[in-house]
Amino acid sequence: MKKLFGLILFMGLGVLIILALNNTISFPKFGSVDLSDRVADAYLDNDNVSEVGSANIVTAIVVGYRGFDTLGEVTVLFISALGVAFLFSFKKEKRLDLKFKPNFMLKHGSKLLFGIMLVVSLYIITHGHLTPGGGFPGGAIIASGVLLLYLADDKFRSNIKGFKVLEGVAGSLFVIIGLLGLILATSFLENFIASGTVGQLLSAGIIPIIYVLIGLKVGSEIASVVDNFLTEEESA
Amino acid sequence: MIQYAAILLFVLGLYGIFISTNTIKMLVSLNILEIGLNIFIISIGFNYQGIAPILSSVSDTGLIYVDPLPQALVLTAIVIGVGTTALGLAFAKSIYQKYQSFDLNDMEESL
Amino acid sequence: MSAVLLIAIPLLAAFISILFKKYSIYLLFAVTIFNIANVFLATEGIIIIGGFSPPLGISLLVDTYSKIALLLVNALVLVIAALNVKAYPKYGTILLLVVAGLNGLVLTNDLFNFFVFLEISGIAAYLITASNKKPITTFRYLVIGAIGSSLFLLGLIILYSMFGTLNMVDMIKEIALNNNYQELVLPFTLMFIGLGVEAKLLPFNSWVKGILGHSNTFSGPMIASVYASAMGFVLGRFITNLFNFEGMLLTVVLVILVAGIVLSDIMAFASKKSREILLFSSVAQASMIALLFVNGIIIWAVYLIIANALSKTVMFMIINKAQKDVGSDEVKSLQGLFANNLVIGIIFTIATLSVMGLPLLVGFTIKLNFLTELADAGQIWTIAFILIASVVEGIYFVKLLLKLWYPEGNLIKVNYHLSFKLVFAIIALALLTFGVYQAPLDKLDNTVDTVMEVVNNG
Repeated sequence: MKKLFGLILFMGLGVLIILALNNTISFPKFGSVDLSDRVADAYLDNDNVSEVGSANIVTAIVVGYRGFDTLGEVTVLFISALGVAFLFSFKKEKRLDLKFKPNFMLKHGSKLLFGIMLVVSLYIITHGHLTPGGGFPGGAIIASGVLLLYLADDKFRSNIKGFKVLEGVAGSLFVIIGLLGLILATSFLENFIASGTVGQLLSAGIIPIIYVLIGLKVGSEIASVVDNFLTEEESA
Repeated sequence: MIQYAAILLFVLGLYGIFISTNTIKMLVSLNILEIGLNIFIISIGFNYQGIAPILSSVSDTGLIYVDPLPQALVLTAIVIGVGTTALGLAFAKSIYQKYQSFDLNDMEESL
Repeated sequence: MSAVLLIAIPLLAAFISILFKKYSIYLLFAVTIFNIANVFLATEGIIIIGGFSPPLGISLLVDTYSKIALLLVNALVLVIAALNVKAYPKYGTILLLVVAGLNGLVLTNDLFNFFVFLEISGIAAYLITASNKKPITTFRYLVIGAIGSSLFLLGLIILYSMFGTLNMVDMIKEIALNNNYQELVLPFTLMFIGLGVEAKLLPFNSWVKGILGHSNTFSGPMIASVYASAMGFVLGRFITNLFNFEGMLLTVVLVILVAGIVLSDIMAFASKKSREILLFSSVAQASMIALLFVNGIIIWAVYLIIANALSKTVMFMIINKAQKDVGSDEVKSLQGLFANNLVIGIIFTIATLSVMGLPLLVGFTIKLNFLTELADAGQIWTIAFILIASVVEGIYFVKLLLKLWYPEGNLIKVNYHLSFKLVFAIIALALLTFGVYQAPLDKLDNTVDTVMEVVNNG
């Protein structure tokens, strides 16, 4: 009964939203968006592009125009990693047991793979302002490499203290770069390094620096979340 | 028209949260809701003629790009969703440690 | 000094504090004191971030309204953290993030940036309520909070696709140009529900009972006064500047809010648990604050938020401490609590009477003034329902006070630390003073809200 009622209620809600959107004249039809009415048009403007210096406009928005959002976003990840660690803080902890015995090939092959993943993630992080990618996907790749090591080796435990230090330092540096913008230029998170030629690896001012910090921070945060989920209280 | 499928995914997630009593299923439904929302965000910037908003060495005169702003917003929304899900799973695990169950109906009395 | 430091410094301190876990709570004290000083020094106006002028980049808006909110939030966090430093010492980093998140909510002038800060403060709230040791209620809060902020995000995305901007001031201009309220009903409803979840408005607040009904001396005042007042201020900003409810939507919102006040007072009346009485009273107050904002009575809504935050801090702390020592929050088992604690009893009585709105207390001044303004606006039905709710409120609070004052059988012993008594006494004195001496309350009147000025003057 509850299921039927819920289905009718929420399908009705969905139909209502769709009808309302369909009848709204200001709401553009799918696929025929006119950018000239939107703020986004200015982001693609040639002068603005050369001022920011990032070939990837999405990155220019994420780290440049809306860099403050990204600081908040990193903070959300920080606080949830903190919360997970907070909920799983035991006096004595041990690794979760695997249900199988990993063999030699799995143990060492995964280490080889981890190295490759690290290289790929570094490439993705450092080329965030030129190609699709950047700190968030790169950091997620680092963390999935750590997860691979956990799943392929029943003795493996990463250095959580190290991750915590990395996380704190990267976050602090992000805010300090922002404060430097306030001191050296006029406003928080403002670019204070020459933005260079669009399309070069060393361009876009502080954007690649911030993206490297974000990559390290996201990687270490998700890796410590993975570690927290894979440990349990040791029954004495 | 196709973007309304995203709204249906959104309300499907709401429905899933409404009917399920299992903590893990509730989190899965929450993620379905967020995915529907993210697809909707991306869809409002789409243009049939548009290309990805990344400049290349080819001359860009006459090119139309899709709206880059929703793509930036969706990146933020995804990361926030990951954070909420991780914390929700952590709470689900601590509920399990306390009551040995993922089903909220099993422990309503022990609240 | 730039107002952005109010957000940046707590964030920096939070990132540093995980390296020095033991000192995080002292870092919190330093940061909140710095913030309180900074509120007085900060320049008013639009603060640009990232060097891109709005609407391209994100900007903050500092005015008297946001300064009052910032002062209240930072001071309350400082007081509550200081009083709980022994019982809950591990929350330093989380409280730093609470400060950053709530300051950001109050200051930001960008809708999506607002969503990000809503999530930061929301996740911090889930962690604060984890101190209740009731993971199920916290889990429910997390799911409902996530749905609420998703609805808010859906609404703001629809607004973006319609008007092509995320900047609040810019958005208000575009909406005025478009001048078609019919189209705005859907996004505004979604955003109002999303905010209503966090602001404890009645149909969207099923999490409150579980959270505040099991709260302690730390989570109770944090959720019921710090978060409630920050969300009240934010709701006021949104209702008066962006939503500007009209037509059908105005009627629906008014009915929901009035029903919220009456129903939650009736639920408080029916409850036998002291914490539940307090939490339903906070729910009624939240709806009352929103109702005042919808009717455009900004100044008295602001005072109501402040008075409510101060009295609820005192009431929740006293009751939750007693609950911790006695082991139950049934009114019956707390009977005669004040027979041994005269000072605490007097302070609790003053706070309660102020919430009820008795003469000589600040609550009375506020109630009288907004009822007069509502009468001027011709809202006779609203006034009638508020008066009915006030009578119900009066009855259950007097019943609660009588039970707590007169012992029956065994005397119960609850020890309140001297610092508790001192802080509570100062708050009670403030409630008394501003009830008698109203001059400073009348001075601010029209300087509170400047968004419309910015909109009009560019």
